[in-house]
Amino acid sequence: MMINWPQVLFNSAITGSLYLIGAVGLTLTYGLSKFPNFAHAEFITLGAFIGYLVAEQLGLGWPLALLIAFLVSGTVGVLCYRGIFQPLAKRGSSIIHLMVASIALGFILRHSIGAIWTWKPVYFSAAWTSFDVGSMRISSLWLWLIVTAISLSFAIHFLLMKTRIGKAIRASASNPELALASGINVNRVILITWFIGTGLAAIAGIFRGADTQIWPMTGWDIILPIFAVAILGGIGNFYGAIAAAFIIGLAENVGVVGLIALGLSTTYRIGIAFLILIITLIVKPEGLAMLFRRF
Amino acid sequence: MDPLLYVLDLVVFIGIFSIVAISLNLEFGFTGLANFGKVAFFLIGAYTYALLSNIGVPFFFCLMAGAVIAAAFGLLISLPALRLRADYLSIAVLAFGEILRLFVKSEDWLAGGDWGLTVAPAISVAGVSHRTDAFINIALVYFCLAICFLVIHYLANAPYGRAIRAIREDEVAAEALGKNVSKYKAQVLMLGSAMTGIAGGLYVQYLHCVLPNMFMPMITFTVWIMVLLGGPGNSWGVLLGAGLVEIFDRGTNILKDYISIPIDPSNLQYILFGTLIILILLYRPQGLLKESTVRTKVQRLIYNGRHTIKNRRN
Amino acid sequence: MEDTLLRIEEISKHFGGVYAVNEVNLNVDHGGIWGLVGPNGSGKSTLFNTILGLHKPDHGDIYFEDKCVTNLAPHQMYDLGLANAFQVPRLFYSMTVLDNMLVAARRQQGDKLFNGLFLRRRWQEQEKGLISEALDILDIVGLDELSFTPAKELSGGQRKLLELGRGLMAKPKLLLLDEPAAGINPVLGKRIFEKLRDLSKNGIAFFIVEHRLELLFEFASWVYVMDKGKLVLAGEPKTITDNPLFYSIYLGDE
Repeated sequence: MMINWPQVLFNSAITGSLYLIGAVGLTLTYGLSKFPNFAHAEFITLGAFIGYLVAEQLGLGWPLALLIAFLVSGTVGVLCYRGIFQPLAKRGSSIIHLMVASIALGFILRHSIGAIWTWKPVYFSAAWTSFDVGSMRISSLWLWLIVTAISLSFAIHFLLMKTRIGKAIRASASNPELALASGINVNRVILITWFIGTGLAAIAGIFRGADTQIWPMTGWDIILPIFAVAILGGIGNFYGAIAAAFIIGLAENVGVVGLIALGLSTTYRIGIAFLILIITLIVKPEGLAMLFRRF
Repeated sequence: MDPLLYVLDLVVFIGIFSIVAISLNLEFGFTGLANFGKVAFFLIGAYTYALLSNIGVPFFFCLMAGAVIAAAFGLLISLPALRLRADYLSIAVLAFGEILRLFVKSEDWLAGGDWGLTVAPAISVAGVSHRTDAFINIALVYFCLAICFLVIHYLANAPYGRAIRAIREDEVAAEALGKNVSKYKAQVLMLGSAMTGIAGGLYVQYLHCVLPNMFMPMITFTVWIMVLLGGPGNSWGVLLGAGLVEIFDRGTNILKDYISIPIDPSNLQYILFGTLIILILLYRPQGLLKESTVRTKVQRLIYNGRHTIKNRRN
Repeated sequence: MEDTLLRIEEISKHFGGVYAVNEVNLNVDHGGIWGLVGPNGSGKSTLFNTILGLHKPDHGDIYFEDKCVTNLAPHQMYDLGLANAFQVPRLFYSMTVLDNMLVAARRQQGDKLFNGLFLRRRWQEQEKGLISEALDILDIVGLDELSFTPAKELSGGQRKLLELGRGLMAKPKLLLLDEPAAGINPVLGKRIFEKLRDLSKNGIAFFIVEHRLELLFEFASWVYVMDKGKLVLAGEPKTITDNPLFYSIYLGDE
């Protein structure tokens, strides 16, 4: 069997970029609110549909679609946090209750989306130019995805390291009591993080939707690798997430080659992320965080 | 459709899901283990039953094999459960359920892939009506439910129940007071998974087929609603919860035939379920029925006896 | 060395490069009240948690009745005859006071899966005895009137008392008590120490961390002093209080 290795590497970069954009929000909100938001998948889906609404149904074009999806999803995220998770946390709910609530929210969002846009998959009509570089087939969508992931990474790095709010986010994640004592409004910090986190999920949703299809399960389809990225990277650790996203992207794409070679179904590609997730949890639950102590 | 048959069908469903719900109550309500992968064990029981039944293994052994294999996977899951925090465990187990569904979906040779398998009814009497068939199933399901219920009821009210509640409240303190926390967790997950496996077998036996799509994560979530609504730590409450959730489920399905609403009823149903669960968590986290206390009758008797003696002395 | 119940050899434990306990050696014999004092952060609680099996020591060994127990889990230590009462009570808050006590009971028949289900007669018979025992101990700590109250409704002092009661219920050979008198009114505190002294004559050894020094020094037969993770003094209370070093490390920083 001929394996087109440059293509495998390029595909890994695409997959990694998508997972990174999808996982950053999850890992930041998880690190700050101390529970995994299972409804994160639905914010990805919501973003894809808002993007579809803006770009296709209203015909306002891509840049606006990304922006509006980010804002809408972020706003919904903040409202959900204010309306559900904050009151629960105030009542001293256990982490299990918070997780159940997030699954419940996921069902509400997913089926509200299903009620509005129906369960029939829809597609972006934009035609992406594709061209060959050597043995690689490259589509402009993929280039845009990689460029977006890189620029977002720099933006978040700048936000976390150089701005006051970023420093407040880091302080609140590592020690909420101390942050509170040193005059940081932890509540506001959490809300801003939820806004950014759920907003970024929307961006991932648009790219995933453009690359495959848009339907109410768009987010759920990739939630497993996204959780794997958050955990392998170390919960709440942005730099760990970058490394983890590309490790899992690479593992999946190389794994697919392996699956084909073994004559197994490629639907198992999601199982590769699962395997990494389980191994991380058993061997080193704090993930790659020890390599990136700065955050 | 025959209205009586419709009711009987509902009764069977309530029975099957009650088994899963009380087993989750054992795991979550009493022991505090967040098993977000109930559907995985349901699936294991179902497919084990279907595969064995199709090669001619007798009914009882199919059911038991499902229980044993599900218990074995419960033990497997308990290994990380001993070390992992509640959130990590939930993610891992939820993912496990999804992978398992993917597995039966992709492997056509094993169980028909997407199309699943058909299974012959276990107790078939030639020429009986659908009603009689439903009655036989009700007897079977409720017999299994009664056994599971009694096992959990007796355990919960024995010193064993006190130990697992202690683990739920504070693992470290329970461990320091001599409770082998890992052993208890493993036992509870095995027992709970075995019961769920039996329920899976009964489900397939009743529906006469098994498909990957019968095992969506929604199953796990529905069972969680039953437990949280009824009252974690209260077996009777959980039975009540199972009944209410199933009736609600059917109710909305019937309504869609009579009332026209602008929203697809199946979407509406999920939205209502989600809203319901959030409202319960916010306003009545203890569920409809509060956790039952461990039997205090003996304790009261001894306590009162001592006080009578004390008072007489004074 | 027949009398030695607990022997700690060169135990060290550090967290992220900081030594909480640094090469500590000490012995506790059968029976009697043994004190452990030192300023806040001197490593007393860490030492207790290491003995209990909650932390694995980085270095050194622990012997219980001449058996090496360094790597045993807490429930195995309990089986050998060790129990403790945490400094900040870790009760089973939704359970009643009496049930909290009963969890701690030793050699229960009904807390095993099989026995709990099938040998009901056997454990029910044992249970009656355990309930009486638990009520006796609740009498001692003054909580018997509250036997059927959920632990979460207890006051801070009552929680400390229940924590102590639970430790006694375990009928250990050695009971580690982390500040048993903190938050309890002085009269009751003294009464409890008197009770502990009576119990210690029956062979239970108590190893006690206590900040109320006057109380501890009145009852303890031997006192260890820790400072910055190290064991610095050991001796009878009298010799400790006579030692100027003791004042400089213990009271000097207050």
